[in-house]
Amino acid sequence: MNSTKARDGASDSAMKGRHLAIRSSLDPDARVVAVTGAHSFLGQEVIRKLEQDRRYRKILAIDIRKPDIPVTKTRFFKVDLTLPNADGELAHIFSKEKVDTLVHLAFLSKPSHNTAYAHELEAIGTMHLLNACAASKIHKVVHWSLTALYGAMPRNPNFLKEDAKLNGVPGSRFFADKIEAERLARRHRNENRASVVTVLRTASILGHRVSNYVSRLLAKPIVPVMMGYDPLIQVLHEEDALDVFKLVIDLDFNGTYNVASEGVLPLSTALAMAGRVGVPLPHPLAYPLAKVLWMTQVFDAPPMYFDFMRYLCVADTSRAANEMGYSPRHNIGQVIREFAQAEGEA
Amino acid sequence: MAQKKARTSTKKKAPARKKAAAKKKAPAKKKAAAKKKAPARKKAAPKKKAPARKKAAAKKKAPVTSERPPAPPPPAEDSVSREEIQAEPRRDVFRSGAPLDGASARRASQVVAEEMEPGIHVTASSYQGPGLDGEAAAEGRGRLFEGIGPESARAGARGASARDLSLLDRVGELLQPGSYRRMISEFRMRDRSEVVDDFGLDPLFADKWRPLFELLYRHWFRVETVGMENVPDQGGALIVSNHSGTLPYDGAMIMYAVRYDHPAHRDVRPLVEDFIFHFPFLGVFLNRVGCVRACQDNAERLLRQGQVTAVFPEGIQGIGKLYRHRYQLQRFGRGGFIRLAFKTGTPIIPAAVVGAEEIHPMLTKVTWLAKYLGIPYIPVTPTFPWLGPAGALPLPTKWYIRFGEPLDLVGQYGPNGGDDRLLVGRLTERVRSSIQAMVDERLSRRDSVVFG
Repeated sequence: MNSTKARDGASDSAMKGRHLAIRSSLDPDARVVAVTGAHSFLGQEVIRKLEQDRRYRKILAIDIRKPDIPVTKTRFFKVDLTLPNADGELAHIFSKEKVDTLVHLAFLSKPSHNTAYAHELEAIGTMHLLNACAASKIHKVVHWSLTALYGAMPRNPNFLKEDAKLNGVPGSRFFADKIEAERLARRHRNENRASVVTVLRTASILGHRVSNYVSRLLAKPIVPVMMGYDPLIQVLHEEDALDVFKLVIDLDFNGTYNVASEGVLPLSTALAMAGRVGVPLPHPLAYPLAKVLWMTQVFDAPPMYFDFMRYLCVADTSRAANEMGYSPRHNIGQVIREFAQAEGEA
Repeated sequence: MAQKKARTSTKKKAPARKKAAAKKKAPAKKKAAAKKKAPARKKAAPKKKAPARKKAAAKKKAPVTSERPPAPPPPAEDSVSREEIQAEPRRDVFRSGAPLDGASARRASQVVAEEMEPGIHVTASSYQGPGLDGEAAAEGRGRLFEGIGPESARAGARGASARDLSLLDRVGELLQPGSYRRMISEFRMRDRSEVVDDFGLDPLFADKWRPLFELLYRHWFRVETVGMENVPDQGGALIVSNHSGTLPYDGAMIMYAVRYDHPAHRDVRPLVEDFIFHFPFLGVFLNRVGCVRACQDNAERLLRQGQVTAVFPEGIQGIGKLYRHRYQLQRFGRGGFIRLAFKTGTPIIPAAVVGAEEIHPMLTKVTWLAKYLGIPYIPVTPTFPWLGPAGALPLPTKWYIRFGEPLDLVGQYGPNGGDDRLLVGRLTERVRSSIQAMVDERLSRRDSVVFG
């Protein structure tokens, strides 16, 4: 009941902003959107949402693997962003198909041991993509980023605003590449004043269909936690994430926005509500242990991620609420419970 | 007796449910067991022998029936689907009407248990009832003689009324791997709420520690608080207080005073120095009872939300004063609290705490060892560290807290006063000296440190 109300509220405010936001240069009823990382969870679901909206004439799915969803107006283009000629190829496709909006979702959802490939995909791939956008004068770029890029630091304020420094996690290539990609997106905005660049920094996306290192961690019955630390955490429901992506594809918002579902919870409470058992490890022991487990590929995240179990990394979402009129449909309690329930059934 | 009548009436009312229940009662495992063992036992065992157990087993089974009456008969129920059904009511407890605290969650689980009551008898009757085909009856009997298996124990655990369980049930419950996880989760959440505010204040957790603070406030320090009317009933306010006592008991007492002695029972959010806040265990505790890490962003957000925020601008300089410097207020930071009051338009309430200086009379402090521990100093008092942990007990001094007249800076100097650095400096000094005056005034009337 509540959630439908919230949804109506969100779409109302979206309607209000529509005349202002959509530019006259775009044909509002014949939009062409390109989605990179189309095989990923977010990519497929965004395509699914766009497929249902008749204002979108054509959708270009760009990935190295074809999305596994039934499509009618989506065309698949196999482009490897890491190849040196990818920018030219993409520019050709964008111009030929008259793409007006690019949704850039081609990012790894978990840290990879193959850091060289990750760098090629995330940093260099983004560069290729944005170069192609600039060449074919694409009107809008929606860039997916993470609130985790702020890094979990003892000196963080409880709510990080969009202008806070992106510290990442020291020594982690995974975050460094994403920070680099975001820097490129900002540069693209500065160099192409006529175009719109929306950077969405999402909190950890949680849901029964999405898989990232947070969801996999929470899916385990026993979760290591840091002894004596219990930071507040923030998550984003997968449906809230899709809503906000749809919103920024529909309308133009130039800027960077933090997105998260309502509310925060201590990590321990979230684990208990999900029926997980947190095993407290003293952090001086946990880091070296996790390093060994990461290097031997037993554990799927490097030890630096324990920082997120010690210190705050919670984003202030008031900007998205004020400027985009976006209010999430879920609160963190619902997200955790729903996730635990889906996991229990699986 | 009356209960029994009620039971029979429900029995009659629910013929449709009966069948579903009976069919549900037929797991594949039981089938196999019945085939192997049951035929012999089935005949040998008279029905009469069973009723007590039967009822118990039925009781355990019941919530399933009441939960999903129209469910289709499960095709050779495997263990997974059984688990799924059995886990259901617990989740419902969580889902039903967003229980904010443990108490209401507990209440909700009781309600669920009560709702399940009728179903119990439906199951019992369906076992005996004539509408059953022979196979189901045999299975039911087979189940009976297997006694209270782990499955029923698990089912019992989910009813959330653990009090009604017999010893055997409890043992059966402990044999289930999942039950430990559930028990640990419940244990961890026993005094924790499922909703916290933006900064992590957990009302249930704070209430749990109330007796300790009450003991300190009423009996140990015998705090006398005056000027409570200066703390507003609603809207933001910035309490600015002197800081003393080696350990921050003064903050705790101000919190207690306003939370429990103020007519509006307002939560005070003290801003806490970084190093304390990120100390393992301590930081978590402080966070849950309502402390917030001291930084401009946090303070601003708190005041904009209309919360009462307490700051101790002397910081570590104030709390770490030596005994010979007692009641000499230190520099009030760099006037950040004045700028904050201008920015958010909140009144400043100066507060004086007398009595905290003597709880740990610090003779000297050791800094060279402290830096390895990540703390600013190790205090040396007449009792600590000589008496070990007992030496860390605060002396029972008599305390006075006085909240002064609120200062409306924006009203007096306009909203942009915070940009005038000289004004900020002057106001900082004014607040400091007014608190010093309140402290001195109280000290001049004090005859004894311990008796006031």
